[in-house]
Amino acid sequence: MTFTSVQPTEVASPRSPSAPPLVTIEGLHVTFERGGRDVRALRGVDLSIAPGEILGVVGESGSGKSVLGLSMLGLLPTEPPPRLEGSIEVCGVDVVHADDDTRRRLRRRHLGAIFQDPMTSLNPTMRIGRQLAEVAGTEAEAVRLLDAVGVPEPKRRLRSFPHELSGGLRQRVMIAMAVAGEPSLVVADEPTTALDVTVQAQILELLGHLRDELGCSFVLVTHDLGVAAQVSDRIAVLYGGRIAEVGAAADVLERPAHPYTVGLLRSRLTLQARRAGPLPTLIGEPPDPRAHPPGCAFAPRCTLHVDACDETLPDLVSAGGHPGVAACIRLDVPLAEEVALVDAWPEVEAVSAIEPAVRLTAVFKDFELKSGWRSKEVLHALRGVDLEVAEGESVALVGESGCGKSTLLRAIAGLLPIDDGAIALGPGARPQMVFQDAGASLTPWLTVGELIGERLRSEGCGRSERDRRVREALQLVGLPAEVAEAKAVQLSGGQRQRVALARATVVPPEVLLCDEPTSALDVSLAATVLNLLGRLRRELGMAMLFVTHDLGAARVVGDRIAVMYLGRIVEVGPAEEVASAPQHPYTQALLGAVPGVGAAARRTRLEGEPASPLRPPSGCAFHPRCSQAVDACHTDGPELVTLRGSSGHRVACGPAHAAGGWG
Amino acid sequence: MTQFVLKRLAAMVAVLLVLAATVFVLQRLTPTDPVHAMLGGNASKAMIAAEKHKLGYDKPMVAQYVDYIGGLLHGDLQMSLRTRRPVATDLGQYLPATLELTLFALVVAVVLGGLMGIATAARFRGSGVLRVVLLSAASAPSFLLAVLGILLFYRKLGWLPATGRSSVANVPTGPTGLLTVDGLLHGRLDVVTDAFKHLVLPGLCVGIGPAMSIGRVLRSSLVNTMRTDYVRTARAKGQRESVVLLRHAVRNSLGPALSMTGLQVGLMFAGVVVIEQVFAWPGIGLYTIQSIPRTDFPAIAGVTLVLGAGYVIVNAVIDVLQAAADPRIAL
Amino acid sequence: MALAEPYVAPALRGRFGRTRRRTRWSSVSHVDQIAIGALVAVTLLAVVTPWIAPHSATRPAGTSLVHPFHGFVFGTDEVGRDVFSRVLYGLRTSWLAALLVIASGVLIGGLIGLVAGAAGGWIDNVLMRITDAFLSLPGPILAIAVVAALGPSLSHTLIAVMIVWWPFYARIVRGEVRALAARPHLEAARLAGVGRVRLAVRHLLPGAIPATVVTASLDVGNLVLTLAALSFLGLGAPAPAPELGAMAARGLPYLLEQWWVPVMPGLGVLFLALVSNLAGDGLRDLIGDR
Repeated sequence: MTFTSVQPTEVASPRSPSAPPLVTIEGLHVTFERGGRDVRALRGVDLSIAPGEILGVVGESGSGKSVLGLSMLGLLPTEPPPRLEGSIEVCGVDVVHADDDTRRRLRRRHLGAIFQDPMTSLNPTMRIGRQLAEVAGTEAEAVRLLDAVGVPEPKRRLRSFPHELSGGLRQRVMIAMAVAGEPSLVVADEPTTALDVTVQAQILELLGHLRDELGCSFVLVTHDLGVAAQVSDRIAVLYGGRIAEVGAAADVLERPAHPYTVGLLRSRLTLQARRAGPLPTLIGEPPDPRAHPPGCAFAPRCTLHVDACDETLPDLVSAGGHPGVAACIRLDVPLAEEVALVDAWPEVEAVSAIEPAVRLTAVFKDFELKSGWRSKEVLHALRGVDLEVAEGESVALVGESGCGKSTLLRAIAGLLPIDDGAIALGPGARPQMVFQDAGASLTPWLTVGELIGERLRSEGCGRSERDRRVREALQLVGLPAEVAEAKAVQLSGGQRQRVALARATVVPPEVLLCDEPTSALDVSLAATVLNLLGRLRRELGMAMLFVTHDLGAARVVGDRIAVMYLGRIVEVGPAEEVASAPQHPYTQALLGAVPGVGAAARRTRLEGEPASPLRPPSGCAFHPRCSQAVDACHTDGPELVTLRGSSGHRVACGPAHAAGGWG
Repeated sequence: MTQFVLKRLAAMVAVLLVLAATVFVLQRLTPTDPVHAMLGGNASKAMIAAEKHKLGYDKPMVAQYVDYIGGLLHGDLQMSLRTRRPVATDLGQYLPATLELTLFALVVAVVLGGLMGIATAARFRGSGVLRVVLLSAASAPSFLLAVLGILLFYRKLGWLPATGRSSVANVPTGPTGLLTVDGLLHGRLDVVTDAFKHLVLPGLCVGIGPAMSIGRVLRSSLVNTMRTDYVRTARAKGQRESVVLLRHAVRNSLGPALSMTGLQVGLMFAGVVVIEQVFAWPGIGLYTIQSIPRTDFPAIAGVTLVLGAGYVIVNAVIDVLQAAADPRIAL
Repeated sequence: MALAEPYVAPALRGRFGRTRRRTRWSSVSHVDQIAIGALVAVTLLAVVTPWIAPHSATRPAGTSLVHPFHGFVFGTDEVGRDVFSRVLYGLRTSWLAALLVIASGVLIGGLIGLVAGAAGGWIDNVLMRITDAFLSLPGPILAIAVVAALGPSLSHTLIAVMIVWWPFYARIVRGEVRALAARPHLEAARLAGVGRVRLAVRHLLPGAIPATVVTASLDVGNLVLTLAALSFLGLGAPAPAPELGAMAARGLPYLLEQWWVPVMPGLGVLFLALVSNLAGDGLRDLIGDR
């Protein structure tokens, strides 16, 4: 292993340029053995972290980003024990070679950790106060910490169990535990991925504040460049278990040197992404960590690829465009400006003239939850939804968790009976659905061919006819015919999503329902799937209802956007109009919470969390979180009213209506 | 809590009604006529008819069932065909011995199983030899453990008695019928130690199999818990591994072990019957075994009902413990 | 930054079922591998016992109470019958009976569990309340009551045990099926227009099989012990029949002087239960955890 010609420590930290680094990682290799095969999670990582800086570690699944974070904590999974080479020095302790007790004391004195899912990361059978006191020492200190991380009524919360708190509060408790005892370094592994967009923004802001107050360093591990961009001083981009690029956050985001970083930034769904045609994408999929290519792991997906890339692993060298470093032998070659986007989607005909494929009229749906013997609680999932999707039109439905958007999809699909209202469908084939977790939507023990062919059984076509149409459907989504023999476990995440699409479209439905089909996919794959959806729906003439929590994705996918809050549509209108000039305070807040890469990233934050659908607030359900709420909002539930002079931009907001221009 | 108790009581009544119905139907299925069996072969037709009328056997089935249930409500478990005494009286005499043995065995099972589960989860993960030894203990039929125990501790070493509950002459009577407890209450330490010595072998024989089952479930539950995110959080705090295991993992792993304990109590009743026979332990197991060859069905029915009630009570207690261990379970 | 995506499909993973199976088998511990082998051997022996047993199981083969290894491997009993031959026959009865009860439990319980889990709603409710009622009865005690009512015989014992053994499997299968039914793959299949029966048989049942097989294999040992206990209590086949539990019970009076008479049959039960427990662990590793 040759070490890099440029020491990573030369990358100046903006905080304390002269202080010795807090963490120094050199030539780190981590290998796990799974099922008799080596999984090479990290393959020679050099990195340093200065005191008081926030380092964003960005990568896709399998890039080794979480392993990097856990190895700093000395908490890699131990069954079977991983093989480590190289060195990690954290606060003067050699983590690779130290014994368990030394590592434990290091964690106790100097380190803190925040994990992805606050539900599973807190002990479910221990009170918050006791869990905090384990690190905080005294109850008074625990209260102070809870107060510092913004938990209301901290004294009372000490007696709570984790399941009695909301997701955002749980993550705040987790953060309080991480910063207890004034650690020098806090490792945060995807701390906001399991949270709602508006809560994510609050948590990221909190991390920034804490760094300023406590002066400790943070490692922010994330798959989302936008999240890293919010608070990081420096960003390290990981690919295939190696560092692709490291540099000051602004440099990496604005003048990326490595082709992968460039590709990642271009395939991000921002509010400026192009809508007229397919999105730019990275070809292929991230490498399988069980079989890395001998050369640059990114070579198979790289547009600058030359033969030399396949032969040797590239070392980190000066990035050229900025003072950071990047691992690429083609840095001198200027990366082509974005390819001229000649391809454009064909024009969709005007919406109003066409028959609706789906028409929802005042749809209500409650769920009864048992909360003990003979006592029931009612969850109001849908509280009067009116929505139309025209033939061939794409509508994006945006909302946070618990707003009822998935319930609505299932009701339209006929998987759930509704309590009140009407769902009218067009005359075409029954709606089909693409699920968030495509892998889970494929029956594991049946082959792809059987699964797709099942939809043709009711059509009464023969075996050879079925096989032919299965092959055609696979071809349409870009999969080779041999996939028909495979089962779901043998497919990659991207392939599974394509199979799910092929199954849904082998007999093209009148309307295709999509339940967050890209949220479980890597950034570089999401754009590919969105392009495929865009092409398929136009080629097959399907209407589409696309559920997402991401306004960026909604703007790209939808002809129109509908925003949902607590079982009601609060705003609906042409996609570009809703995304650029939102009228409802909630839509405005959602827009403000989209993690952006640019300088305009800081906008107004929304306080609190979505109210529980078990007890929707009176009047306008949004009023407890709304900065523009007036007294009438507490009592009057506003109707959707059309903005004058717009093409069907409708908003349900009392104060907005009062301001005029509506009706 | 009140709701829980009420619900459990309702469930217990339901189970007992089902059991009573089953027992009643079984009793009518019995090929041997109970009255014949009671009076012997020489009884005249008239005597049999008179006896049948006296016992209500000539009424319609449904009426008989109603009578039967009505009797049960008054604590009337009918007359034993063998001892010619009310079954309720017999059970009152034999139950304390069985109760003492079962409780002792339950303590053995829980303590031994708990220790074994924690010890194996902490140190020997999947250690081969230990696993085979423990599995052997779990796979041994209780009568084999009993005979080997007698050969070793009675015949070879002479440390422990092989039969009965007590060898002290004037045993104090009441109030509980449990010799160890009564001995303590009467200040008779000789009775306590003697009773304890008699308890050790049969108690271990009944308890060791369940102990192994409980231990195995606890171990695998602990191993799973040690892989959870919140245990990783506890480690990230820099807690000692022993603290992580005892403070964070054990309470979260109790659920499956408690369920297994409830299940094992049912199996333990069978073990108790076997062991009482081997050790001539004067409990309801021995009473049952002596009743079977004489087709003394009222006796067997009484035993079934009493043990069924015990089983339901034990499982209600397990439910309470489970809710106590996990705050997410509401009673 | 390709536009019209020439989609590069990654190679299919783990295409070869055979390699996967081999790694699975090697992950089973050696002890368990031996146990699985031994269990297969026991099954074969059970079939051919009448031809390989050295002596008759019911007629005397020599003088009574001969010590082990004095012409008879396990010695002879109080009437001079060869204990080894009797243990062989006893193993055969125990093993075949255990298999029969497990098979009936899996079939009856599996069917009820599948119907309840797949149908849901009131059918599920009714079937599960019935199952719960059976499950809340103390099994062995009920078996004693049944046998006491019907009179002692092996088939009565087996019927009694079958009555109390199936509810457990109904619960397991129903639980698995409900868990599977909550997965998106079932919604996807319903959307694809798959009928109810095909849904249950093709999309639910195969997923419940591994857990059921593993549970059953871990349960055989319990069953062997329960049957032995019932036989010990005299609830099996009547007198001369070679049943391990009954042999131990009738040998009890000889325990202190001729220990082999009650101990050898006990060891036979231990062997059978141990081998099935070890093999069950092995099968669990082979098929996948629970």
